Amino acid sequence: MNAVAKRSVPGVIAGMAGALLFSSSVTVYAADKDSQKGEQTVTLRVCNWEEYIDIGGWDEEDTIDLDSGDIIGERSMIQDFEEWYYENYGIRVKVEYSTFGTNEDLYNMLTLGDTYDLVCPSEYMIMKLMTEDQLVPLSEDFFDTSDKNNYYINGVSPYIRSIFENNEIDGKPWSNYAAGYMWGITGIVYNPELVSEEAASSWRILNDPAYHRQITIKDNVRDSYFAAVGAIKSDLLTSERFRQNPDYQKQLEIEMNDTSKETIAKVQEYLQDVKNHAYSFETDSGKADMVTGKVAANYQWSGDAVYTMDQADEDDFPLAFAVPEESTNIYFDGWVMLKNGILENRLKQHAAEAFINFNSRADNVIRNMFYVGYTSVISGGDDMRIFEYADWCYGAEEDEEDVSEYDLGYFFLEEGDEGRSYIITAPSDQVYRQLFAQYPSGEAISRSSLMVCFDDEQNQAINQMWINVRCYNIHDIPVWVWAAAGVVMGIFLAAAGRKLARSRR
Amino acid sequence: MHKYLFSRKNLGIPYALFLVLFVMAPLLVLFYYAFTNGQGEFTLLNLTGFFSDPNTLGTLCYSFGIAAVTTAVCLLLAYPVAYILATSRFRTKSVILMLFVMPMWINFSLRITALKEILTWFEGNLAYHPFLNTVLGMTYDFLPFMILPIYNTIAKLDGALLEAARDLGAGGIQAFLKVTLPLSMPGILSGVSMVFLPAMTNYVVLDMLYNSTYIMGSLIGSYFAAYNWHGGSMIALILLGIVCLFTLLTRGIEEENTRGGALL
Repeated sequence: MNAVAKRSVPGVIAGMAGALLFSSSVTVYAADKDSQKGEQTVTLRVCNWEEYIDIGGWDEEDTIDLDSGDIIGERSMIQDFEEWYYENYGIRVKVEYSTFGTNEDLYNMLTLGDTYDLVCPSEYMIMKLMTEDQLVPLSEDFFDTSDKNNYYINGVSPYIRSIFENNEIDGKPWSNYAAGYMWGITGIVYNPELVSEEAASSWRILNDPAYHRQITIKDNVRDSYFAAVGAIKSDLLTSERFRQNPDYQKQLEIEMNDTSKETIAKVQEYLQDVKNHAYSFETDSGKADMVTGKVAANYQWSGDAVYTMDQADEDDFPLAFAVPEESTNIYFDGWVMLKNGILENRLKQHAAEAFINFNSRADNVIRNMFYVGYTSVISGGDDMRIFEYADWCYGAEEDEEDVSEYDLGYFFLEEGDEGRSYIITAPSDQVYRQLFAQYPSGEAISRSSLMVCFDDEQNQAINQMWINVRCYNIHDIPVWVWAAAGVVMGIFLAAAGRKLARSRR
Repeated sequence: MHKYLFSRKNLGIPYALFLVLFVMAPLLVLFYYAFTNGQGEFTLLNLTGFFSDPNTLGTLCYSFGIAAVTTAVCLLLAYPVAYILATSRFRTKSVILMLFVMPMWINFSLRITALKEILTWFEGNLAYHPFLNTVLGMTYDFLPFMILPIYNTIAKLDGALLEAARDLGAGGIQAFLKVTLPLSMPGILSGVSMVFLPAMTNYVVLDMLYNSTYIMGSLIGSYFAAYNWHGGSMIALILLGIVCLFTLLTRGIEEENTRGGALL
């Protein structure tokens, strides 16, 4: 979700022309089935978020020295995968790796005729691609737990697995088509010296006059919409009665995905107020502005929140993370295979699924998490190294006095495995700092809600609302500006007229 | 054979190819999307939609306002600088001119980031003055484009004309108004068009200086992010139309001026 918005218009236009002209000439360098096995090369075209996979080249001092052994990224994950695949399956695979900036960019790239085999969009884009029947379902072999190379199905967190299995689109669960990669929630990074934890724990902080021009908000319509719905429904969502509802999770999701006319109107009003109170709508500058102290609080994705707090810590400037009481948006980025890339090529599909599995192997998960900063959906299954890594990152030193127990059972605990405990003894401040953002507490997770993929009509209404918020309305132009413009215009016309008259004479 | 290969006509082929690929083709695509709807049918709704929505019109006005103020500030700053540099006998003239142009050698986003820090130093919280900051940022960015053409026209000005004006009894100010200013008009016009048009669409400066109100560039981007290529293309096309109109207008004035200049 490290979205640097790339809205370069010339780029889009050039891309349009380029794609139209060249899409036909792109040669698909697929495996030739008739050639001898040893010489086969499968080309796998992968498209992922920018800076979302380990590229290797770590310094010696970056080594993650777990008790179970050192982990270090010497070469890029891609190279390691190519080698691993050849060793295990005897087939050469060549990964063509490219990146995208936003889900919308990726979708536009696909529409323009770019072909990829494996991409990693967020959950709502996966849902959109599913409804448009663009995806290849994962094979049965992928879910075979007896294959030790199937690191994904043997290692994915039970909590994440249940979400992927229980959420359906057109009657098909996500898990048929998508394998998770990273996940997180949304929240507020704040400077505890200026903002109280209580204030940061509500979406209402975004237009709180007490923090006038001191808070940044995400510059994209979905994140802004979610926060605004949380703020305008705050009373309902935080009421005991709503919380005690036996169907709470379901009701919460319905409320947070409300796109009724009245709600959209209220959201628009709210966001206009936010625009008048916020420091800025930001795509990427929020992190730096938080670290340099330009703002007091910052609407952030949990992975970027970890990064922000890490950066600030280097300057001895402690920041904290809060998850709003109303609800938090839980999001996933996941791997999906595209029909027009795979083209029913078995070898290609196998390589794509192996790529997912290789990136789900505990040591690789740790490398990716260390490099990217986000949280993997993999808990490791029998492999304890991922929990060990969490403890290595956030566990307290032995001489630390002020410590708290932090239970991550909801994420790591497998069914029928109740004997194990997944509790990190962490310095107390970590309970509302990096550890909290990296692995949110079960309590915060209980308030999480997915944000579904809106249909075209809803999207249109919401995008119009967004334009209404962000644009300058012509009716808001003050009279004096019209008058001044009129005067300037008049002077120009008079001058031109005089000149014309003179030249005729 | 050799003659055939290197004939003048054939040397033009790469350029023609370039024009077709990177100018004509994108334009055609732009036209196609601007006048069709999601189903690929011809429609004028994108066009009428733009001119009936108070938000898009407001954005046009806002962009226009930013561009106009930026251009005016650039002109007011650049003219005296260019005039002094062109007419003085400083031996350090070229050095001073270079100092103004030098920022252009530094990456643009780096410069704006630096400006952001400097402005924060002065203003404290940048979010209080979005319009002012935008104009400052754009002025900083575009000033050299205004100075250079004006400097060039004034530097090439025939000194004899000024002497003649003085001989015929014009005062310093009168000579400037009647001779220097009209004759430097071509420089001013090319400066204005080099500043005004980019200022209408350069949303990166806005984004980086925390102006949360859309201008034309960001509006087009938001349409594309919402998969509405048709609306986005139409706005791009309308902008293109405005650019054409503007260019024709300045050229008209320029021609008028050269005729006026010949009369002198």
